[in-house]
Amino acid sequence: MTRDRQQAAARAGKRIAAAIVAAGAAIMIADYTAARMHVLGDARRIAELQRQTQSDASFAPKLAAEQDRITRVRRARRARSRSLAVLLIAASSAFVASAKWLVVLDGTRLVVRIIPLASLRARPVSPSAVAEKPSAPTPPTPELDLTFVTRVVEKEGRSKEAAIPILQAIQSHYRYLPDEALKRVCELTDVTPAQIAGTSSFYARFRRSPVGEHVVRVCHGTACHVSGARQITEELRRHLRIPDGADTDPARMFTLDEVACLGCCSLAPVLMVDDHTSGRLTPAAAAAALNIVHQTQPA
Amino acid sequence: MSDGLTRREVLIRVARGTVLVGFGSTAGFLIEKADGQVVWQVDASRCANSRLGEAGAEVCNLCTTECVVQQSAVRAVNNFRECGRCSICPAYFNIKSAVDEKGLPSEKACPRDAIERRAIGLVDPADPANNFYEYTIDEEKCDGCGICVRGCREPLGLGSIVLKVRHDRCVGCNRCAISIACPKTALARTPVTAALEPTLARQAAR
Amino acid sequence: MTSAVPTRHLLLVAAAFVLLAFLAPNGVLAQAQQYERPVEVAPQQETIGGGYVTPDVQRPRAREYWLEILDVVLLAVAMGFAVWLVLSRRNRKWALTLTVACLGYFGFYRQGCICPIGSIQNVALSIADPGYKIPMVVTAVFFMPLVVALFFGRAFCGGVCPLGAMQELVILKPVQVPRKLDDALGLLKYGYLGVAILLAVQPAIARDFVICRFDPFVSFFRREGFAHMMFIGAGFLVLGTVVGRPYCRYLCPYGGLLSWCSRLAKRGVTITPHKELDCGLCANACPYGAIEKNRAVRKECLYCARCYASCPCETNPQAAV
Repeated sequence: MTRDRQQAAARAGKRIAAAIVAAGAAIMIADYTAARMHVLGDARRIAELQRQTQSDASFAPKLAAEQDRITRVRRARRARSRSLAVLLIAASSAFVASAKWLVVLDGTRLVVRIIPLASLRARPVSPSAVAEKPSAPTPPTPELDLTFVTRVVEKEGRSKEAAIPILQAIQSHYRYLPDEALKRVCELTDVTPAQIAGTSSFYARFRRSPVGEHVVRVCHGTACHVSGARQITEELRRHLRIPDGADTDPARMFTLDEVACLGCCSLAPVLMVDDHTSGRLTPAAAAAALNIVHQTQPA
Repeated sequence: MSDGLTRREVLIRVARGTVLVGFGSTAGFLIEKADGQVVWQVDASRCANSRLGEAGAEVCNLCTTECVVQQSAVRAVNNFRECGRCSICPAYFNIKSAVDEKGLPSEKACPRDAIERRAIGLVDPADPANNFYEYTIDEEKCDGCGICVRGCREPLGLGSIVLKVRHDRCVGCNRCAISIACPKTALARTPVTAALEPTLARQAAR
Repeated sequence: MTSAVPTRHLLLVAAAFVLLAFLAPNGVLAQAQQYERPVEVAPQQETIGGGYVTPDVQRPRAREYWLEILDVVLLAVAMGFAVWLVLSRRNRKWALTLTVACLGYFGFYRQGCICPIGSIQNVALSIADPGYKIPMVVTAVFFMPLVVALFFGRAFCGGVCPLGAMQELVILKPVQVPRKLDDALGLLKYGYLGVAILLAVQPAIARDFVICRFDPFVSFFRREGFAHMMFIGAGFLVLGTVVGRPYCRYLCPYGGLLSWCSRLAKRGVTITPHKELDCGLCANACPYGAIEKNRAVRKECLYCARCYASCPCETNPQAAV
């Protein structure tokens, strides 16, 4: 994937630049320390030679040579440190640039508000925690156990008025309204198939298609909409390979839901995976947010 | 006039006006006091390279090595009114070098070859040692190492060459790096008019 | 005195030649003998003859006055641009471009001098000491950003200041400093301002320009300086990746003055109240904690225009129905 490659490039750039900066800084410090250490010795040697020259002129060439040497060393150090500084500035700029790129690619942008946001930010969930979660609703299986429908109908009655409580019970048991179950309800009660179809398609709470193990709610409120909720939904559809017209991936792991507002516009764009909220998303970060909740990738 | 203004807005306006008047009068006071440019300058009577009666062959090139500007803002200038125009100028030649066939030292003193030597007046080609020569220091090449200044220092020379700060190069740091490093505290901020006259301070000291 | 000087000179010249004779016995001694004109006095044009005219005394070239004026003009123009880009155009990209351009000119080209931050000391000293004069340019550079702050807020900080630009560019993952800590640290700069003025107005012997001495970034602009200052500067930059512009907010003494002036500002960065969408994205985007309860705080605002760049209404106007 190109994004992965970009991330790898940014990370590599960051590391190389950091290495250059560290090396340059180390050389500079060593150079500086060495020069500082030489200063006193040089001054002492010059003073000594000056004293000798005053009494004996034959020391003069030695003094001049020594002075020349010191000047040469000083000039060389200056030239060195200047070119090194240019290199350091370039390397630090490269480091900052690649680090910024990485931040953008990782999708954690803008300001982190330490205290209030800590509770809101997507917390990594350990795989064991996911496994321990009581998996009460079993994933729908081809051969549906319809004894539950019979039990519910016996409990709620056979009148038309009982239709909604029956549907609610079925919904909460199977997590959607299986066609077989609805057919069975029609057989057992006075409710006609047309009425069942009308009721079950009218209320948003009722689902006619199987639901994934995790529900992903992507906020499409105003703030999220303008900060790219549409792109995030599309990226998630691509990532989960959800076919057009459907809302659940073939493995029935995730169901994608577009909701009106999750009530945290300041985190826009936002999505919730079950009970976990992730905010300030980019398309890449949204896909990553799913992995946090469940480590297994859909096929 | 202040219809529709809240008390807060009026107060802010009054405060802003007061602060503006304060700024204006302070700025006016400072500008009235201002006397053209004030610049860093080398005091030639203190500089170790040019000061009179400095004993020993003391070397000081901190002006070159300490200045924050790439090529130091300090340079050497020649005061032609005081220049001896010597044939064997101790600032131009390295007088310790071997003599060539013309009877002149074979090496130049300036490491950057910034001094130009030109025969002037009534030139007698037969007697080059006793002609007059004019020495001009190239501003672009000089980086103020002070070798020529030391060469021209009395007694060998007349001390016509001194170090000066180039104000087009000097950035004018509040904490001038040379002035911090200078062992003789020869750098000071002076009004630009006095600073431009090269050997004024030396003449005064004499 | 006058007669003593040439005699002394002659003696010294002789001594020097004797000395040289030791150094280069084969050449210089011979020259000394043929050299008939020992240097005692400077020959003037009548001595030299041949129509020679003594040239003017060599003078160091003065800094062209118009170049100094250019700095002031550029400062004014840059501040004007900053105000226009941030307040009218609300365009972060161009505001950032301006910042980088000013970092290039005032920082790396002019090497951090002349700057209003350091000029606090010169101005204070000039007010306190009648003998200390400062050039008009310094006065102008010191007062202009303050006057702009009186009307438009801290446009200088965001648009022009090279020290600020360095820190602006390194911000990576800023955290919002808790309000109380932010306020407490913000007091440091007033203390620093007081100390700087106090030390600057001392008599010459005890005078110290601490702001310039502890300027964290000037050694970067000049590509050299004291190692400890480079370390402190690098430290500020590293800290600046997670805390937005630490020097500006907590230490810059000129920031303190600008902050006071900008309290009286006529206009400034404003977060317009919006009936449906008080979303707070701007507050999250601000690394400087300058947006409180979804409204901009002028004394803290550093004119970076991040709030506008992150605002849904600004970035996507047709969506803001």
